[in-house]
Amino acid sequence: MSDSEFAYGSSLSLDSMKVIAESVGIGNLGDDAAKEIADDVSYRLKVIVQDAMKFMHHSKRQKLSITDIDHALNMKNIEAQYGFIQPDSLPFRFASGGGRELHFVEEKEIDLSEILSAPPPKVPLGVSVRAHWLSVDGVQPTVPENPPPLCKEAQKLESVDPVSKLSKPSNEDAAGKPMCGKAARLKASESVHVKQLATHELSVEQQLYYKEITETCVGSDEIRRVEALQSLACDPGLHEMLPRMCTFISEGVKVNVVQNNLALLIYLMRMVKALLDNQSLYLEKYLHELIPAVSTCIVSRQLCLRPEMDNHWALRDFAARLMAQICKTFNTSTNNLQTRVTRLFAKALQCPSQTNNETGVGPSMASMKESEKTPLASLYGAVQGLAELGPEVIKVFILPRVRWLGERVEGALSGIGGADRLAAGNLKQQLLKVLAPVVRQLRQPPDVPDEYKRDYGYLGPSLQQMVSKLRSSPAGGAGGGAAVAVVTCTPPLVPAPAPPASPAHLSKPVETIATRNVVIASPAPHSPAPATPPPQKFVIVASQQKAQPSQSSSGTGHIVVHSSQPAIVRSQNVQSVVVTSGPAAGAPTQKVVVVGMPPQAPASQSGPVSQAPVSVVAKPVFARGGPQPPQPPPELDDLSHLA
Amino acid sequence: MGDKSTPLLAVLQLLRKYNLKGTEEILRKEASLGDVEYENLDLPEVEIASILTAHHTESDPYSYEFAYDSLKKFVENSLDIYKHELSTLLYPVFVHMYLLLILYDHNEHAAAFLEKFAPEQEDYYQEDLKKLAIVKHKDQIKGHELAEIYSTNKFIVQMSRDASSQLKRYLHDQKNSTVIINIINNHVQIDIHDGPGRTLAQVRATAGGLLGEAPKTENRTKVYYGLLKEPDIQVLPAPIEDEEEVEETPDKPKKKKAKKDNIFMKKPKSDPNAPPNDRIPLPELKEADKLEKGKALREASKRVALGPDTLPSICFYTLLNSGHTAISADICDDSTLLAVGFNNSTIKVWTLTPVRLRGMKSADKLQDIDREAGDVLVRMMEEKDRETCRTLYGHSGPVYKVCFDPFKTLLLSCSEDSTVRLWSLQCWTCLVVYRGHVWPVWDVRWSPHGHYFVTSGHDRTARLWATDHHQPLRIFAGHLSDVDCVQFHPNSNYVATGSSDRTLRLWDCSTGTQVRLMTGHKSTIFTVAFSMCGRWLASGGAAGELMVWDIATGSPAAILPPSHTAPIHALAFSRDGTILSSGSLDCNIKLWDFTAITDEATGEEPGSSNGLKEDKFLLRSFPTKNSPIKCLHFTRRNLLLAVGTYEGSS
Repeated sequence: MSDSEFAYGSSLSLDSMKVIAESVGIGNLGDDAAKEIADDVSYRLKVIVQDAMKFMHHSKRQKLSITDIDHALNMKNIEAQYGFIQPDSLPFRFASGGGRELHFVEEKEIDLSEILSAPPPKVPLGVSVRAHWLSVDGVQPTVPENPPPLCKEAQKLESVDPVSKLSKPSNEDAAGKPMCGKAARLKASESVHVKQLATHELSVEQQLYYKEITETCVGSDEIRRVEALQSLACDPGLHEMLPRMCTFISEGVKVNVVQNNLALLIYLMRMVKALLDNQSLYLEKYLHELIPAVSTCIVSRQLCLRPEMDNHWALRDFAARLMAQICKTFNTSTNNLQTRVTRLFAKALQCPSQTNNETGVGPSMASMKESEKTPLASLYGAVQGLAELGPEVIKVFILPRVRWLGERVEGALSGIGGADRLAAGNLKQQLLKVLAPVVRQLRQPPDVPDEYKRDYGYLGPSLQQMVSKLRSSPAGGAGGGAAVAVVTCTPPLVPAPAPPASPAHLSKPVETIATRNVVIASPAPHSPAPATPPPQKFVIVASQQKAQPSQSSSGTGHIVVHSSQPAIVRSQNVQSVVVTSGPAAGAPTQKVVVVGMPPQAPASQSGPVSQAPVSVVAKPVFARGGPQPPQPPPELDDLSHLA
Repeated sequence: MGDKSTPLLAVLQLLRKYNLKGTEEILRKEASLGDVEYENLDLPEVEIASILTAHHTESDPYSYEFAYDSLKKFVENSLDIYKHELSTLLYPVFVHMYLLLILYDHNEHAAAFLEKFAPEQEDYYQEDLKKLAIVKHKDQIKGHELAEIYSTNKFIVQMSRDASSQLKRYLHDQKNSTVIINIINNHVQIDIHDGPGRTLAQVRATAGGLLGEAPKTENRTKVYYGLLKEPDIQVLPAPIEDEEEVEETPDKPKKKKAKKDNIFMKKPKSDPNAPPNDRIPLPELKEADKLEKGKALREASKRVALGPDTLPSICFYTLLNSGHTAISADICDDSTLLAVGFNNSTIKVWTLTPVRLRGMKSADKLQDIDREAGDVLVRMMEEKDRETCRTLYGHSGPVYKVCFDPFKTLLLSCSEDSTVRLWSLQCWTCLVVYRGHVWPVWDVRWSPHGHYFVTSGHDRTARLWATDHHQPLRIFAGHLSDVDCVQFHPNSNYVATGSSDRTLRLWDCSTGTQVRLMTGHKSTIFTVAFSMCGRWLASGGAAGELMVWDIATGSPAAILPPSHTAPIHALAFSRDGTILSSGSLDCNIKLWDFTAITDEATGEEPGSSNGLKEDKFLLRSFPTKNSPIKCLHFTRRNLLLAVGTYEGSS
């Protein structure tokens, strides 16, 4: 204990005594008298508190409570202080004036009639006893009633600094695994400390669990699947199996996308959801596997065998929601997750002219054709993915492209392909649903169809209808889908609390980077009905310079959409991300983060479990069972024919 | 300095010497000294000088700091073999100097003195110093608990003969300052032992008591720590046999013997350390109690042998929605009932098995029952009762301890309202209120043989009671502060108490005297437990420290490495005595290898074991989910039961 914190003597000040004296009607208390009283009161208070400590200890607590003081007073034959029973600590207020500082407890006058007329407070829950196994033969089972063997902070630390695990293997040994039999004897006999490698060995039970869970999750029994997912979402202590699980999901998605196995993809996404929901897991280390898998399920060209029949839209919606959840949970200033994900989807929505410019080879018509082949389903996914990220993202990335998207929809609707027509219809509906609330905030009330037509092209009139419908409905956000889009608004990437600056100023820093496709986001300058203004967000994403044409033509920078096969999104190779913050006009409060990520080796990881997904695919049992992803449309029930 | 008039007389003599008649008269009047004393003014010149200088130095505030500094230097410069023993002298001298400064009204100097030297006192004294520091005025010394203890008792310091002669030589040299000599004469008792000076570890092992170490003479009495011969084994065959059918009668005793030997393998036929069975009168076993005993023995035969390689399973009972209201818990010996004492004066009893908690039938219905029937005990209970939890109302303050009797028909509870209540688990009502303690009662325990129980409380006493007396049979007084915990020895002849004065004491029930005084704990002792064999005593303290004591010698057998970070409130020995479990408010249950601890303690000199070896004592640690542990209990088959309250996820 250092000298500084060693407070042998602290006592009430003279001022306090004087103030208290004033409050009981003694006008001028002399300094000497005040000092005498202050000393005496401090002494008595301290004695009482020391006695109260005894009551605290015997109540087996570590926090002194008011009842302890009462008991200590009682012990000294002093009447207890009534009326101080408070669930939380006393709310001290502070006031100063006339050179005096004062801390006091605010006492409000209470209207008795109000209390008497108010309904009685809820009766507290009765005490109940619950039994569970804290240890079975010296091993602590990882059930929700026990603390997780490795807490989330430790997992986080491990993901940031893997060496920390190596430095103290004995510690973990004492906590997690039994120290008996051979292991204990080995430990005792070993005199030299050999540094353990961070192996991810699974015990036999864990292997069994892994096998059981993965099989059940993609199996045919829906009831058991729900149980398995529940286990994934609740069980502490899954962290050792997490690498396997993630590989399983990632490989499973790869294989099943090729096989167009919609049902399995849904099951795998539900596994991702369960893992995300698990409070004791820290997934950041495994995002490189999960994000490509999830984004594949959002934007892949084809996810099912019969696109005209099967409802793959629900899967895209669900996966988009997952992606938004991942962004929300794991976005940090170092990984720039949300920026990268936003970029990924934005690229899929790239206008043909822009794509043309980026590739920079061949006549514009040729690339136009190439780009026009971006399937409608992928467009739908990209729109959905962006929409889940919040209204600001919608405004910046979808709204400028609505004209082009409208053209695509119009073309497909007038075309002949049945599947295309269905897709175009869905895309149109989705666009309207997503855009309407944003447009409603952006535009002034008189909604003229012609203006809409002029601004938004083909989709204009429908959008106008939707917006006016929204305006007429009470409270603005009555439309279910629209409300969701606003609510799922993610935390702003860069918080900008001050009022918006003019776009011209904002664009300045971006120009220094000399990019072509500059998207400037500024919050709605004139929102007609700012009932609930969405969080402001400034996301400026600059695509890479034109000086690197080979990069984009190689296709590592954005989603690969080949016409011949379904898209598999590998890692997002983000060359540069520019984020500016600070709404102050012209103030150079900006941050430039350049993130480079090498393209991931496409080869699947070698290991005993990497075979698992393949064997799963070979399994032709998807008989029936009504898989229910959290919000599936009713058509999904009709999956039996998939087998 | 026998009486206070001596200095006055000296002054008078001085006045007369200088012929100051007027002053002399006034002083005489004021001090109201009689003529008799006035006539005896024939103190030698030297003594007058010494009295006057002594008075002078004692009231000179600057001499204190100087004197303490000089003592410190002497200790530091002494040889290593004496240093550690001599250093224990510093604290009492420091405390009394502070009190003297206050007494002579040098309040500022006292504060400065404290400020300067308090931080360098031993860490386990800091809490006391903080308590003492609130005394800032002469008037406060009287009313203050700690200051009174210090001024009315002698602080005990143990020293080798050589060290004490060193000290004597030093004190002899300090002619100009009598402060230290006076303090040592008046307030310190130096306990001289033969043999070499002790090492730092040895000194630390026993230091820490409120008034220093226990003198060696305190622990000379012989303690019969052995177990009693079980008198009821002879009557056991009946219950054992009705379980398994026995065809042949000659076979019977053999079988019984085999079983008995299995269970009590370790116990020799006649333990030389065991007290005679009639040393204290024990109650005759009732028929029902015998049945219960028989059941216990049968259960014990199915017991799992525990050891470092076979750890027990732990079943954890979480009290939900209890917040901070649940204070104490106990599980009855056959592990079927759980009692919890609450902050709001109530006691709740839960059944842990499917057997419901039945009440007794009403009086007129009871009359109809045939009292000769074999199953009269079953018949008198109400069949309709289906409760799994019953609440007992009666106390008017927090219930600090509940305790089941060995035959699970009675329950004892003690409370802040300074009463102890005896409850019937058949009528579910309060039977007796025992009044005797003056202040809150912290702990109550049954004797392992029933009938007797012992309580302890804030009034610094522990009391021995019998259920059929409303007055205590014995009052064990001697602790200097609250007696926070008590425990009966397995042979019912002794009671161990732990206190806020950081000592453990062992009391003899038959004579009521203190037979052991054990110091070494550095913080308040909240729980004590006897080992199954009766020789060892484990105690847990407020700072999370855990110590094991050898009752045979009264010395610490092992100081377990500090691994709990909050007060330990629960200790339990496995039924075969191989594992010690400790539960603390830091939400951890730890298992200790008790066999290794005792092996080491009997193998070598206590206090000299080093830290590295002690690492192996701790077998495992089991964290709970934010649930401080209130109670630990080993079932007869060696399953560990723990009770804790869940305090939310924050």
